[in-house]
Amino acid sequence: MVLNTTILSWVTFIYFGSATLYLFRMVTGKEFWGPPASYIALFGLLAQSVGLVLRWIESYKMGIGHAPFSNLYESLIFFSWTIVLLYLIIEWRIKSRNLGAFVMPFAFIAIAYASFSPNVSSRIQPLIPALQSNWLITHVITCFFGYAAFAIACGLALMYLIKGLGRTEGSRAFFKLLPNRDILDELSYHSVVIGFIFITLGIITGSVWAYSAWGSYWSWDPKETWSLITWLIYAAMLHSRLIRGWRGKRMAIMSIIGFASVLFTYFGVNLLPGLHSYL
Amino acid sequence: MRKKIIAFFSSLRLTITLLIIIAAASILGTVIPQQQGAQGVFRTLSPELRELFESLQLFDLYHSIWFIILMSLLSVNLIACSAKRLPTAWKLSRKIPSLETDKPFQDLPPEHIITVDENPHGLIGKLEPLLRGRFKRVKKKDTEQGAVFYGEKGAYSRFGVYITHASILVVIAGAIWGSLLGFDAYVNLAEGESTNAVNLIRQNGIKQLDFTVRCDSFSISYYDNGMPKEYRSQLSFLKDNTVIFQGPLLVNHPITINEIRFYQASYGTIPADQVYLTIRKGNGETLSMTARQKDPFFLNDKDARVEVVRIEENFMSMGPAVLLEIISPEGSRSFWVFKYIEKIMERFPGILDKVPKFNPGLFRPYHFGLDRIESRYYTGLQISKDPGVYTVAVGAFLVIIGFFITFFSAHRRLWIRVDEQGEKSRISISATSNKDPVGLKREVEHLMKHISSLRE
Repeated sequence: MVLNTTILSWVTFIYFGSATLYLFRMVTGKEFWGPPASYIALFGLLAQSVGLVLRWIESYKMGIGHAPFSNLYESLIFFSWTIVLLYLIIEWRIKSRNLGAFVMPFAFIAIAYASFSPNVSSRIQPLIPALQSNWLITHVITCFFGYAAFAIACGLALMYLIKGLGRTEGSRAFFKLLPNRDILDELSYHSVVIGFIFITLGIITGSVWAYSAWGSYWSWDPKETWSLITWLIYAAMLHSRLIRGWRGKRMAIMSIIGFASVLFTYFGVNLLPGLHSYL
Repeated sequence: MRKKIIAFFSSLRLTITLLIIIAAASILGTVIPQQQGAQGVFRTLSPELRELFESLQLFDLYHSIWFIILMSLLSVNLIACSAKRLPTAWKLSRKIPSLETDKPFQDLPPEHIITVDENPHGLIGKLEPLLRGRFKRVKKKDTEQGAVFYGEKGAYSRFGVYITHASILVVIAGAIWGSLLGFDAYVNLAEGESTNAVNLIRQNGIKQLDFTVRCDSFSISYYDNGMPKEYRSQLSFLKDNTVIFQGPLLVNHPITINEIRFYQASYGTIPADQVYLTIRKGNGETLSMTARQKDPFFLNDKDARVEVVRIEENFMSMGPAVLLEIISPEGSRSFWVFKYIEKIMERFPGILDKVPKFNPGLFRPYHFGLDRIESRYYTGLQISKDPGVYTVAVGAFLVIIGFFITFFSAHRRLWIRVDEQGEKSRISISATSNKDPVGLKREVEHLMKHISSLRE
């Protein structure tokens, strides 16, 4: 196996370890497990960054140099990278590890799917003509930060709903450990805002690219359309919150629906015919 | 009645409903194949369903009347909402509250009241420049005990949402403008051919250009693994028989002539009709032949009539091949002649025995070879004109500006009262913000820290 894919598949285990420790911390209620979970996640992020850079360099050595964002394997790897990066920034900003148990598994699943699914080829492939554009990097980065922020919002929404279950079951330590519902609601809203801005930037950069590649900035290609659907769902969510003052459970449910739409935009669209079908 | 209509169009309920309906309609459009892709599904439907789908324009959903009505309703809703709320936002951003000495400071939490070891007079002198540095508008009123300050900043934050909404309308306007005054067309041009008429995609007609485009050549290059690397059309643009522009057209690198953009969209080969054969006789003598499909030639010494029946660019993934039919007094035979027969025999030993039809020497004593098939490429060009695109781009840029103002700025207002308390001063701080309470709290804490350090 090539060095970069070896590193990246090891990162899968590192993220698994980190996610497990976050879960341990949550279930046992002991902060003891927290710092190792964070440091292992950080170590994984650094290793993954090295892997990505090596892969980038490797593609240049092969004479087909391009940023490692060009097929399903690379996009999944990058997806997990953005989730961990955003998560660690949030952990550092809010000085709480509570989200880890709900967010790290997303990063783990994404990278595990990339590394171990027989349907995902890890080979470095050259860029087909349609992808040979300077917009590739900007478009992919903005979209995936959007996806990652929505993934975190979805994790927070799940926490919110699970915390709700705890109210009836007395005072189990597990539920006590989950952050206060207002904080979850507020954080989830902030994640959605970040995701919304990035997905908008992703749609705009994609349109600029489409204008130079396909002849039109908008051609109702299924992936374009699904990104618009995702955008509309989150737009409806933000409006009902900011104007109607919807909070809590309704927001959590909308956040989960929104993320389902994100996942369909990302994966499901490949089942439909269209111009994005190479990814 | 009028009020009711206005209330309906400016309601958030309508906004949310429309967003959800448009999302649902868009989903439908990704499930039902659209436009050219629809033909396959169309055939499988029963006549009643066909009629239903046709009348609802489900095969061109995003351009259907009802989808356009939905988008128009959303635009009207956007305008109505903004028109309803904008005056209030304007007032709120302009209004400076009268400097009341008591009301803002009622029920303050204890941490918002601090005592500073300095007399009010000195403190007020230092406080004023501090506030002026941190806030955009600052007012001061002296009281018997000291002074009251008012400061505010970020009033523009109240307009972020209107900038976003107006920008979305600009995007929609640009899209409509472009679809009314622009066009999308395509044309397939064989190497060497030229045209000034292109096929409109949506209107189903011909668009006459005021210049001519000629495809001088088309080429594809591949990576080592066989994936396509580059599609390149060498194009010339002519007006009155003089070349006005000449250049290669690549994917991602359109050419713009008189505001009309040309894109490398597809390519193909024109079925070949001419082949080059080598015919070796029994005595070793060879002759080269150029043959056309369905245009037989004769091998006189055997009284045989040879006809090229089929020409394949890549027959059974084994490269170029032609099917010959030879009629002679011995009877009729047909067999394939491959260009790469040696390689095929290497790869599949004994293939000629198993499949006699692949044997180029089937008509003895002749042996046929295929030198090449002459085929030409055509390039598929997309031709578009969209005068609305700049408007859309400006709108999209402003949407982002609007987002940043909406989500990352806040209209913060602050009241500070300085009261004399012996030789010290008591300071009360009260603050409000239209959003981001956490940021406001941080700002107030910061300010209090600064004020406490104002004494010498």
